[in-house]
Amino acid sequence: MAIAQRELLDFVRDWRTILTMVLVPLLLFPLLFIGLPLVIGGEAQELAATEVEVLIRGDNVPLELIQNIENRSVIVTLGDPVEDRAVDDQAVRNGSLDLIVHWEENGEVYDVHLRHLSTSSLSTDARQRALLAVSEWEETERNRRVTEGGLNASSTLDPVRYNPSEEDLASQGEVQGWLLSSFIPLIVTVWVVTSAIQPAIDMTAGERERGSMEALLCAPARRWELLAGKWAAVSTIVLVGVMLQLGGLMFALTFLAGPSLLSTPDVGLGAILLLFVAIFAYSVMVVASELALAIRSKSVKEAGALLAPASLAVIVPAVVVQFINLDGVEAFWFAVPVVNVLLAMRELLLDQVDPTHTVIWLSTTLVYTGAALWYAQRQFNREDLVLSPS
Amino acid sequence: MTSTSPEQSPLVALRDVNKTFGDIVAVEGITANIERCTSTALIGGNGAGKTTLLRLLAGVYRPTTGTAQFADGDLTQHRRRIGVMTESTGLHLRLTAWENIRFHARLFGMQDERSRQRSEALAVQLGLGGALDRRTEGFSRGMRQKTALIRALVHEPELLLLDEPTAGLDITSARAVRALIEALVDEGRGVVWSTHDLRAARVCERVMVMHNARLVADGRVNDLLEEHNTQSLEALYLELTSEATPEFQAGMEVGL
Repeated sequence: MAIAQRELLDFVRDWRTILTMVLVPLLLFPLLFIGLPLVIGGEAQELAATEVEVLIRGDNVPLELIQNIENRSVIVTLGDPVEDRAVDDQAVRNGSLDLIVHWEENGEVYDVHLRHLSTSSLSTDARQRALLAVSEWEETERNRRVTEGGLNASSTLDPVRYNPSEEDLASQGEVQGWLLSSFIPLIVTVWVVTSAIQPAIDMTAGERERGSMEALLCAPARRWELLAGKWAAVSTIVLVGVMLQLGGLMFALTFLAGPSLLSTPDVGLGAILLLFVAIFAYSVMVVASELALAIRSKSVKEAGALLAPASLAVIVPAVVVQFINLDGVEAFWFAVPVVNVLLAMRELLLDQVDPTHTVIWLSTTLVYTGAALWYAQRQFNREDLVLSPS
Repeated sequence: MTSTSPEQSPLVALRDVNKTFGDIVAVEGITANIERCTSTALIGGNGAGKTTLLRLLAGVYRPTTGTAQFADGDLTQHRRRIGVMTESTGLHLRLTAWENIRFHARLFGMQDERSRQRSEALAVQLGLGGALDRRTEGFSRGMRQKTALIRALVHEPELLLLDEPTAGLDITSARAVRALIEALVDEGRGVVWSTHDLRAARVCERVMVMHNARLVADGRVNDLLEEHNTQSLEALYLELTSEATPEFQAGMEVGL
């Protein structure tokens, strides 16, 4: 306990720690929910207010279509059809034009070509505006032709009626849980792995480098007790960060997210409790593994060089897990390290508590944690923890 | 045949101890007892094996061959009896001096109130009074050495293992540290003082001289001088080691 207290006090005395371990996780989601919509909305408004230049080439281009395009903040220039489109294309490439529309009448149909540059925001937006105008004109033209043929345009063109938004049996809360399950496990995974690196290194390789390890090893405590203190300290730091992050997320979902964004998911108390157990089990497992690797290192630099790539061993499966289909998922996935807890988090956010899966992921995670701690203790028992023989 | 109780046996008994790190022989063939209430100066040049010997006495290293026996048998119990001041002070610089001492004292099962009282008394003796509640990152080397010494002493160990406690200190700080160690020796506390400084030998009852990983002399100063028929420790040291290390010579030049 004394070791854990000392490590924690030493850690929080650094203002950079407070910034990275407290403020960042706490503010991440609120900023995401306020800042991101503001930035996206502002950019969209700015783009919509920007006039784009479009050249329409063709004979007998309908006047209504031209007016519809012009009404969308588009400066339209009309031109004759051309055989060689290379010169026009170059104008789009160098930005002197945003879009070129080739309009060709071919009997009763019209061939329309929208020459644009997909890597340019203005050109892409000009194409979008032209497409909308063409679509509206096409609908009018279709209705006119059907009516002229003596048919009812509405029943002819839209004979099957359905409203998908009203026929989903999942509640809005369940849908929110499904949406959250697609990114919360990933974010928690990445956060735990990355936030444990610095304290794990500081309390092991850092302590060796500073020379404080020797004084510690001379204290009347067994090595495993010293290791347990450090493990508890790093786990506390990581878990506080995760809890702050989830707290920030819940705050953002409850108070900041608009109706078009996420809202509070429908997850039962049992699933929520198991979700916390999963996060706890995963965190202590990762911390034990990172401590084991950091203790092996003789310097902070060496530990950093080891742990940074090692974190990919967790992050890559975390990304892969997002693509595993939960319907009918095989039980063995719940025994695979890292994957097991992430799948469990996804299931629990969907309010699915499967007893078999729970037993498998919980027991295997405890086994992996025990193995990591056993390895860490072996490393912590090494004599060369204290260097410079003389 | 008589049995020896733990209280009568030496705190540490080394028997033909060798310690190697790969191809490096750190100490070789060491046989010695470390008794209670005995002050010992462990002198030798850089790389002589002093620090390794101290780590063997503290149980941080295990002998590669030979045996190191502790009076209590159990290493954890042994560590309760000893206080160690390492060569690098090993302080946590974002903590205050008191916090460094307090957390260490808790590992010895000390109540904060008692360790605070003891720390304050030692701080006054060392001229560190008033600085206990300051963060050690702003401390001079001397202040850090003194803090580390208080940390090693706070639980009132029977045996104090000191690795170069006055190295790099200014004259005033070195004198304060030396005076405290002399006071500890006077009150009968066991001390093993590893140093280049031959003045240590003058306040200790026993001298152990190490050279090239071996213990080349071990005994009372006067006995050793008589045995080697020399007048001074300097001459004795030069005779035992054949060649003085540059550090030792530098020490001699400042008035040993």
